[in-house]
Amino acid sequence: MNDDRPLILVVEDEPQIRRFVRAALEDEGRVVEAGSAAEALEAFTGPGPALAIIDLGLPDRDGVELIRELRTWTMLPLLVLSARSAEAEKVAALDAGADDYLTKPFGVQEMRARVRALLRRQKVGAGDTVIEFGNIRVDRAHRSVTRDGVAIHLTPIEYRLLGVLLAKAGRVLTHRQLLMDVWGPGHAERGHYLRIYIGHLRQKLEADPARPRFLLTETGIGYRFQLEEPAA
Amino acid sequence: MSEPKPSRGMGGYFRAALACVATTLLTLPLHGVVDAANIVMIFLLVVALVAVWLGSGPAILAAFGGVALFDFFFVEPRFSMAVADAQYLITFAVMLVVALVIGQLAARLREKALLATRREDEMRALYDMAKLLSGAVAAEQVADIVRDFLGSRLEIEAVLYLPRDDDALTAIPARQGGDQHQAHVRAVYEQGQPMHLAAEESGFAPALALPLVSSVRTRGVLLVFSEHAERFCAAEKRPLLEAVASLTAIAVERLHYGEVVQEVTLGMESERLRTALLSAVSHDLRTPLTVLVGLADALTLARPSLPPPALESAIAIRDQALRLSGLVHNLLDMARLHTGKIVLNREWQPLEEVVGSSLKATAGVLAGREVHVELAPDLPPLEFDAVLLERVFCNLLENAAKYAPHGEILITAQVAGEVVEVAVVDAGPGLPPDGEESVFDLFERGRHSGAGGGLGLAICRAIVEVHAGRIRAERRAEGGTRMIFTLPLGTPPVLEEEAGE
Repeated sequence: MNDDRPLILVVEDEPQIRRFVRAALEDEGRVVEAGSAAEALEAFTGPGPALAIIDLGLPDRDGVELIRELRTWTMLPLLVLSARSAEAEKVAALDAGADDYLTKPFGVQEMRARVRALLRRQKVGAGDTVIEFGNIRVDRAHRSVTRDGVAIHLTPIEYRLLGVLLAKAGRVLTHRQLLMDVWGPGHAERGHYLRIYIGHLRQKLEADPARPRFLLTETGIGYRFQLEEPAA
Repeated sequence: MSEPKPSRGMGGYFRAALACVATTLLTLPLHGVVDAANIVMIFLLVVALVAVWLGSGPAILAAFGGVALFDFFFVEPRFSMAVADAQYLITFAVMLVVALVIGQLAARLREKALLATRREDEMRALYDMAKLLSGAVAAEQVADIVRDFLGSRLEIEAVLYLPRDDDALTAIPARQGGDQHQAHVRAVYEQGQPMHLAAEESGFAPALALPLVSSVRTRGVLLVFSEHAERFCAAEKRPLLEAVASLTAIAVERLHYGEVVQEVTLGMESERLRTALLSAVSHDLRTPLTVLVGLADALTLARPSLPPPALESAIAIRDQALRLSGLVHNLLDMARLHTGKIVLNREWQPLEEVVGSSLKATAGVLAGREVHVELAPDLPPLEFDAVLLERVFCNLLENAAKYAPHGEILITAQVAGEVVEVAVVDAGPGLPPDGEESVFDLFERGRHSGAGGGLGLAICRAIVEVHAGRIRAERRAEGGTRMIFTLPLGTPPVLEEEAGE
């Protein structure tokens, strides 16, 4: 057993789902299983896990509540499992502090990619001053955005929105979180502002705004800024 | 309940005349014994009594008769209408005026007393009926109570007309033949105004149709009828009939609300059951499907790789499980849309965004297909539920991919009058003739076999229609199908300009 591998906690009441998640994540780390919220909290007594995958339908407790409690004392990445057509539940989990979600049923590769992205973010962080994606280069120290070396003009709000998205690249940000971060409290109900400005950003940054590669829509939930996976 | 009727017939006058004659005979022996003025007093007393007992008409007769008899029998020259002493003319005049006034006053008093008794009696009867009505639990019972009341009080018959669910008026109790009155009853029901019907209009007897007006609306019609029209036509019967109609209206309304409460209770119960069932089904199906997809997917990625036939099987299991999962979701969506309880999360947003997310969601199905997006540059933001509209796009795109296996797929959108017209166009074999409308019906499928297409389009229609839009399918002249749906334009909220660039 290689002890350097990160510990991944899987909180899910269905043993069969735990089984295949464990099998799928063998390459990513050591998997610890928990069938309930109580078992999940127990798993933190030893060496803490590096990431937790939490099913929102737990037998003993509301999954969103568990996330809220974990967030009071740990910043470990949280990946939520939820049903489709349960957008409200996902938004609640993300607002409570979850970092990403997977809709059941999900493929193994999709899950591995999410887990890998969350673990990597944990390691490096997103502190680089210069970020590049596609043919776009954002220099946060000089507040400049260029496409193929040509400067692109962004309005202050567009720049702030891009900044917030880049700071949490790879993670899902709910409409509410983005409105709070960019426009400030009291603007949480102005979803159309956000959508219009996202549209502006796509016009300026994406090659085909109708089919964005980086600024992705999570319908009914929010947005995700997807930096390209570094070639493995 | 026999009521003392005022003697309007000749009997009253006859008795008044008789009273005058009797008074004359009884007072004749007093002539010369008492003063003539006292005889006059006796006659006035009789007029007053006649007025009280027999009413105003006989009292007038008694007044004139009294004066005449007094003149004839007591005033000199006796047994002649002639008057010797002219001052008796004053006596006659005063006697007549006083007799008439007393008579009228007394008669009016009597009539008022009679009226009061009758009103009290009516009130009590109405009260008794109201008490009976408050206990009625069915429309038939209400009709019986009203019929009993009108039959015993006014000796008239009655039929109640109440609207059914389809708003057609039904007679209670059911009547045979004679349908001519139906149109009139309908008119009374719709206009809320009473109407007299002649015998030939009603088809059986003179009738009066009274609307059952409650606080909210007209609840039905009360039709009263009798061969003797005067039994309900007389103006003084009207308040009673109207009171009966209004009590009936209250009873009918109470019954109606009782039914509504029962329906709502039942509806809530079945809604609760349905929701519980839906969530149980969706959870119970999702778990094994998640396991199936996950395990099959893990097999396809296993290292060392499975031998080719096993790998193909694993891929097929995964794909079919995913398809089954999509089907289950469609079924659940349809169930939710069909119960009409779906809550729209409508927000103003650009159409482009949901097109993008739909293309991403269907990337697997559309792999290798050329998809062109042509959205008009002047497209304003629209108000819609993004999750539901994404379902529409995904279903239309999946449909296009499935039924048109080759050729490009085109998504267009432009403003067309008051709406935005969105189209998903494919170059497939096209719809069967006359299939333009039926493709959206539940479980209808195109010419090609393939599961779920029909359900997907039925969901599209349900979603578009809750957005106040319309969806239709067109055969393209050059081959292929154009699925077109509309969304209303509306007035997007004004965006504050960003201050200080």
